[in-house]
Amino acid sequence: MIGLSLLLLQSGGFPGLAADRAPRVEIAWNRLYDYEEVYGLLDRLVETWPSLISRRTIGRSVENRELIVYTLNDASTGRAEDKPAMWIDGNVHGNEVQGAEAIVYTAWYLLENRETNERVRELLERSAFYLLPMVNPDGRARWFRDAHSPHSSRTGAMPWDSDRDGAFDEDPPNDLDGDGNIVQMRKLLPGEGTHRLSADDPRVMERVPSNDLGIRGDWVYLGSEGIDDDGDGRTNEDGVGGYDMNRAWPSMWMPGHVQYGAGPYPLYWPETRAIARFIYKHPNIAAVQSFHNAGGMILRGPGAEGFGNYPGRDVRVYDELGKEGEKMLPFYRYMVIWKDLYTVFGGFVTWTYEGLGIISFTNELWTNDRLSPDERVSRSSADRMWFDDNMMQGSGFVDWHPYDHPLYGEIEIGGFKKDVGRVPPSFLIEEMLHRNAMFSLRHARSMPRVSIGEPELTDLGGGVTAVDLVFENLELIPTRSARAADEKIGSPDLFTLEGESIEVLAGGFRRDRFRTERIDLAEHEPGRLTSEDGIDGRGLVRIRWFVRGRGEATVGFSGEKVRDVTRRISIR
Amino acid sequence: MWYLLLLGLLPQDDAARELELRDHDALRMEIARIADTHAVASTVSLGISREGRVIQGLVLDGAELAAKPAILLVANLEGPDVFDSAVALDHARALAEGYGSDEAVTKLLDTTRVYVIPRANPDAAEARFLTPREERTTGGRGIDNDRDGRSGEDGPADVDGDGLVSWMRVPDPEGKWMEDPTDPRASVEAKIVAGERGEFRLEVEGFDRDGDEEVAEDPERDTIVNANFASGWEEHGEHAGLFPSDEPEARALMEFVLGHDDIALVLCYGAPDNLNEKPKSVADDAPSKMRVPPEGVLQSDADVLAELAERYEETTENSASREADDAGTFQRWCYDHRGLLTLSTVLWEMPEEWKEEDPPPEEEGEADADEDETEEAVEEEEEEEPENDLEPSLDAKRLTWIDGSEESWRFVDWRPFDHPDLGSVEIGGFAPFALREPPTDEMALLADVHLAFLQELGGLLARVTVAECTAEELGGGLWRVTVTVANNALLPFQTRAARRSRTVRPARMVLDAGDGAVVAGPAQVLIEDLHGEREETTWLVRTGDPDAITVTVETTHAGIASASAEVKR
Repeated sequence: MIGLSLLLLQSGGFPGLAADRAPRVEIAWNRLYDYEEVYGLLDRLVETWPSLISRRTIGRSVENRELIVYTLNDASTGRAEDKPAMWIDGNVHGNEVQGAEAIVYTAWYLLENRETNERVRELLERSAFYLLPMVNPDGRARWFRDAHSPHSSRTGAMPWDSDRDGAFDEDPPNDLDGDGNIVQMRKLLPGEGTHRLSADDPRVMERVPSNDLGIRGDWVYLGSEGIDDDGDGRTNEDGVGGYDMNRAWPSMWMPGHVQYGAGPYPLYWPETRAIARFIYKHPNIAAVQSFHNAGGMILRGPGAEGFGNYPGRDVRVYDELGKEGEKMLPFYRYMVIWKDLYTVFGGFVTWTYEGLGIISFTNELWTNDRLSPDERVSRSSADRMWFDDNMMQGSGFVDWHPYDHPLYGEIEIGGFKKDVGRVPPSFLIEEMLHRNAMFSLRHARSMPRVSIGEPELTDLGGGVTAVDLVFENLELIPTRSARAADEKIGSPDLFTLEGESIEVLAGGFRRDRFRTERIDLAEHEPGRLTSEDGIDGRGLVRIRWFVRGRGEATVGFSGEKVRDVTRRISIR
Repeated sequence: MWYLLLLGLLPQDDAARELELRDHDALRMEIARIADTHAVASTVSLGISREGRVIQGLVLDGAELAAKPAILLVANLEGPDVFDSAVALDHARALAEGYGSDEAVTKLLDTTRVYVIPRANPDAAEARFLTPREERTTGGRGIDNDRDGRSGEDGPADVDGDGLVSWMRVPDPEGKWMEDPTDPRASVEAKIVAGERGEFRLEVEGFDRDGDEEVAEDPERDTIVNANFASGWEEHGEHAGLFPSDEPEARALMEFVLGHDDIALVLCYGAPDNLNEKPKSVADDAPSKMRVPPEGVLQSDADVLAELAERYEETTENSASREADDAGTFQRWCYDHRGLLTLSTVLWEMPEEWKEEDPPPEEEGEADADEDETEEAVEEEEEEEPENDLEPSLDAKRLTWIDGSEESWRFVDWRPFDHPDLGSVEIGGFAPFALREPPTDEMALLADVHLAFLQELGGLLARVTVAECTAEELGGGLWRVTVTVANNALLPFQTRAARRSRTVRPARMVLDAGDGAVVAGPAQVLIEDLHGEREETTWLVRTGDPDAITVTVETTHAGIASASAEVKR
């Protein structure tokens, strides 16, 4: 037994089956990590598996924090650039933090299992991963460090004059009572209020219905904790930043008056520009996943109605992955952004699809539906309190307590803390990470992979041979998406035949399995055929070449998002 | 132009001078010389072009004021508009020289800052000065235009070695083109329905380097800088660039605008023209479609443009224009997204003339380059309709003008050439820059009239004033303070587009009650719109010293104004 344990320890890994192995790198998956810790965890993976994962700083944030892409690749089987790769990022909104942990988990899972799990080993042989855990490290660092609500620190940190008075970021929310939380304010105004305390739980505020029955509330809801710092009559209207880095991408980008937070031109923020540069320089990226929170969604474009529909050939790919995702991620729904959520101009995954032709998803991690696996705990505010009282021992809620406000006088401050609502309670974090990581692997496994079948030779007389070949894409995602083909994105796929003693007289794509004469002949360079459409997911391309001469030849396929393949054939 | 003479803006020796078309290095030297020689001028660097050329401008700024509006003049956004850069630079020189000696120039620069960016696109412009000479509109990255998996392998070239990249007539029975019967040097598209047949293809001078039977179809550079801005950007367009702002020149200009919120007006030399060509307009309240606002100039702003267009025509007598797409242009970004009043004008176009035997133009004034002759032609031809309706093509009319001028360099006569890829062809046609650059002796006058227009604009910019500031005694130490802020200029404080885009900072008015206390009224007032109206604000102040009450109105782009209360007891 001791020998076996040692062997397992050396060969590495926590396999996902829990009983008998310890992972080589122990990471607590029941908590979230701040900015430095996230890179620290990934750096431990780099130290442990230096031949499989490497780091590269691709740029810096407004506050000079590093943007580090971790490349996961089995270099013994080829360079990452030569393989189809999956891009995964998270935390573009500073408060939507758990995407970073999902990325660390994905890397950790793949590395821990590579030695012992054949499927994982094979996936790392034929594909690579580019992992950027935090698109917006400033927003994350501030969310962890400073007093915040679940919804604040979404922006980056570039000063922005949100109220257009010439002063920048001068009226943020204020942690009035200094307890490290930005929660809510309310004031008792008997008979003059808009709200009352819920009969089910007095900590919950209810809006009083507005009608002629004479019901009046005793409480006024005063919004987020804060004061009117700049004395302009408004509270908390110009905090840090004030923009949205998921509205900054070039496809269907719209300016700020159409799309809040877009900035003055696409890729204006240094974080977005650095990322775009990296992605443009890596045309081998064949799958994209972006992690946000919350709501339990698997989202795809279009982001705006004006786009129209995505081409049917690509929608079929999206639908298959999206529906698989719904099964893998309980309580998550597969949705179209503009139709099922809201309009987004200039979103990231709409750019990677519409601009770059890559099948791309945004997952909104975590939904409160998951607090209880059945309906006995409802989504009502009272049941949220019940959950916090009984499952969290009250740790998530700041009880209402009095405060002397400079403007409003005697008020009360209280409400849920920043890590309630958009992130899971600690005991449910690991499940969220694992399920989303597995969805990414499912997506990654669908990246195109091409094989070249056995040649069929037909002697046409006069020294001329017809060479028929079948190029097959074994996976779900086409070598070139319909979008890429329609918009001529990137390079077309290349199908080649060459041999020293072989002269390629003609060649082309066959349009019919049985009628060999139905063929789209190339007009020039018949040994080097280009195709805008590439090879469909789980599809075939048949090529017939007419060659003169005998001897060895090489047939090849080359595409930006596919590993190049060649096959030696012999023509006699 | 008569009044320019009255104003003394056109000294005779000056109008006779030649404008120098400068390559990048010479342009930089002239910029430096102007800045070194005149204290009123200083240089500014916007950035570095794709090929490493610094994009420079001049700032002309007289009296130091806390805030004054600025005009941004941008020229040579399109590579071949090298002449426009000479005009812009000439403005900078004239303003710098005139400051302190010329009253109008002094007044302009004391109240208005002028930024002159003579050459926004130095890389493409430089092709004007290289051998072979080429009208290059594109720069930046290259794409695989012919989708053969290779990029930039087959671009235009000087095939016959005459130092010019011009045109080729390639004999081809499937070609669309034939000789213009009125002037065989001009090429016209054959009208198949009229029984005509094409004789040749008209191609830009080049080879078929990749052997795909296409000539010069995959140039090394593909992006047009002035299609690389964010408004109306044509994603996946051949010339639009990878993403808006990918071209360093485009980004540099945008950053310059973003960094200078004193800019009240943008004036561009080049297409698309909106002074001689009326731009498409839409109602101020035209609804968005699928959340996207309608394209076009908002009607209130179109009215302002129309007024300025009238003044432009009066001052410059220039009516040149050139067809151009406005998708992704700097001009459109400035207006649509930044809300800046943006004017753009084409400085020159080649005149069209009619031979005496030619049929008349259909409308009077169509060929307006030489009015006298045109009118004559109209009169002559009113008498009888010619039997063969042989209207000369546009190019034929241009050739007539060339023939009548001393500008023979503008057309290279077709001559046979044995092309290595295409066999027998003819090479010739309009020389590079023939259609872009006026005759040398017209250059200075064009510069002068446009400088006059620039100066005129300076007097029209919005400026805030405090029209009224009174303190009225209510008794018991209480004073009612009433302040009216106004803009009396022709141009609005904010365009309608700026109110939509919310990119121009409102005027900010602050009351200082001295030792007194404001009892009622806002700590600050943000005023969005001052055009054609006055903004009145009232405060209640408790004070023993009402004379100490002052109000200040501060803006980014319309100056600053303040006043003490006029006390009414």
